[in-house]
Amino acid sequence: MEEIVLGIGITALAGAFATVAGAAEDTESDIGSQGDPNSQVQLAPQMGYIHRIFNKAISGEPPAYGAWCAIGAGVAWALMRINFNPALAIILGSVIAVFVQGVYCTSGYLGRTASLAKFQQPVYIDIIKSLLSVTMAHAFVAIFCTVAMCHLMATALHHPFALPLLGLVWGIALGAAGSATGNPFYGKERQYQNQKFGAGVPISASGNIVRYAEAGQRSSLDNGWFTTKFAGPASGICFGLIVFLELWRTVLFEKTVAGWGAIIVGVILILIFTFIDRWIEVWGRKTYGPYTAAEEASS
Amino acid sequence: MSALGGAAAGGEGINPTGTLVGIVILLVSIAATYALGFSIIPLIGIIIGGALVGFGVHFVPVGGAPAAMGQAPGIATGVAMLAAGAGLAGLFGGAWAFEATGDFAIAVAGGAVGGGLMMSITCMMVNATYVFAMGIPAASGKVAKDPITGDTFPEYKSQGTEGHGLPFISFFGGVIGGIVTGLGGTLIYLALLGIYETGLPVIMQAETAAIQPLAISLAGIFAIGFFLVNAVLAAYNITGTIEGPHDPKFKRVPRAIIGCAVASAFCGLISMLIVLNTGM
Repeated sequence: MEEIVLGIGITALAGAFATVAGAAEDTESDIGSQGDPNSQVQLAPQMGYIHRIFNKAISGEPPAYGAWCAIGAGVAWALMRINFNPALAIILGSVIAVFVQGVYCTSGYLGRTASLAKFQQPVYIDIIKSLLSVTMAHAFVAIFCTVAMCHLMATALHHPFALPLLGLVWGIALGAAGSATGNPFYGKERQYQNQKFGAGVPISASGNIVRYAEAGQRSSLDNGWFTTKFAGPASGICFGLIVFLELWRTVLFEKTVAGWGAIIVGVILILIFTFIDRWIEVWGRKTYGPYTAAEEASS
Repeated sequence: MSALGGAAAGGEGINPTGTLVGIVILLVSIAATYALGFSIIPLIGIIIGGALVGFGVHFVPVGGAPAAMGQAPGIATGVAMLAAGAGLAGLFGGAWAFEATGDFAIAVAGGAVGGGLMMSITCMMVNATYVFAMGIPAASGKVAKDPITGDTFPEYKSQGTEGHGLPFISFFGGVIGGIVTGLGGTLIYLALLGIYETGLPVIMQAETAAIQPLAISLAGIFAIGFFLVNAVLAAYNITGTIEGPHDPKFKRVPRAIIGCAVASAFCGLISMLIVLNTGM
């Protein structure tokens, strides 16, 4: 019984870490413009729209966060092997991973922006100076929380994978959840704030991203401010739910129904989310209605 | 012919010469495994697992960059990345279930459910974002009617787009994709774990219990590697974006299954060579 109570506590803590990690990951990727919406940041100068948005997408978020979390977890694991305090080891591991992320951001921005030289897009050094530390700070929170969560899984919940391997697995899952949930909000609602609300961006508008703020030119910091209102927390809820429910169903039900309990609960959870999704879809159709009459659309 | 002088398009067909070469590589890999003194059962497990990963990736609705602007349906990220995220979450669950129960069927089912759960939560949050934060209803660009719910789509597509969000058939595809890729990944992991648990103690002349953490870590790392190989191969077959099982691109699945089976067979042989007992 004590073991289960401890397991539930660890599960809740891991879920909380995952929620913070998801929110920080998405905000970092929106400020740094790393996800799929960055295609528009890269496209804009080619369409004649010069801007001051950060541009660092060399790889997608999942492999990038897989690499950073694996580095953080690997260094932390090595330090713990030589008897470092786990908290200190995780902090130092995350710091080293964040330096790798900083190098990646700098080379990403310089490389991608320099490739747009023929379209007169300047490389703004002040953008690197002002935004690099912000993305690194958010990445630190995301990496630290993920590595700490993996440490709990390895030591308190006795998952068989070593810490660096858990870092890689959950880093990739973190990037996948964050990019899936957060990208549309940054891509449509922020980059194309000049387009109509409640409709997708017409393909003909591609590249015409919003480049001006209330005063002066829009900075990626403004994008971070905007996306933390929904995309960051939503990504956090997404990743937090994934981690919490995955651990919860295993810790509580693994030993029931001859070992099949966790699987049965997993199937029930999938069905519950299916019903919620269908309810959201029907609610959207009923609330917003069709854009055109059915006959007109089909003709 | 295209402007570059090649064939007009990749198409859905299967290239007979390429398939023949692939089958030869697959058979040679199996024969080499047998000749080197390994059991071919784990390799068959790896091949089936790899083919399942390639098959499952095609179910996952991935819209890439256009989906991030609400220009096309699907999840706004890359094919291989999302499938890897789901499959690895499944692998995490499967490995844990095997550690706790030691039962093959429970571990494989645990991996499948882990992948499906990750995808169901992610797909639900995608729709929540589109509907509640962006005010955009789901609409497919590839079919006029949802094959499961019967919802019509043309009137729900906003002007100048190919659709947006995740219609129910795409959600369903995402969950099935997560289940199948999680199952395939766990199958590969268990096959590799069996090889290393028996092979490592012999070549390292150590107790099985002492070698267990190394065997688990090696099997986990190789399983992730296999996963990425198969997911990327499937992504090449998809070329960009796919809406799910109702998308015409889904017909390309047989080609991916052959490609992933061949790649898994060859990579499986390489992964076994680590524990080859040369008597030295």
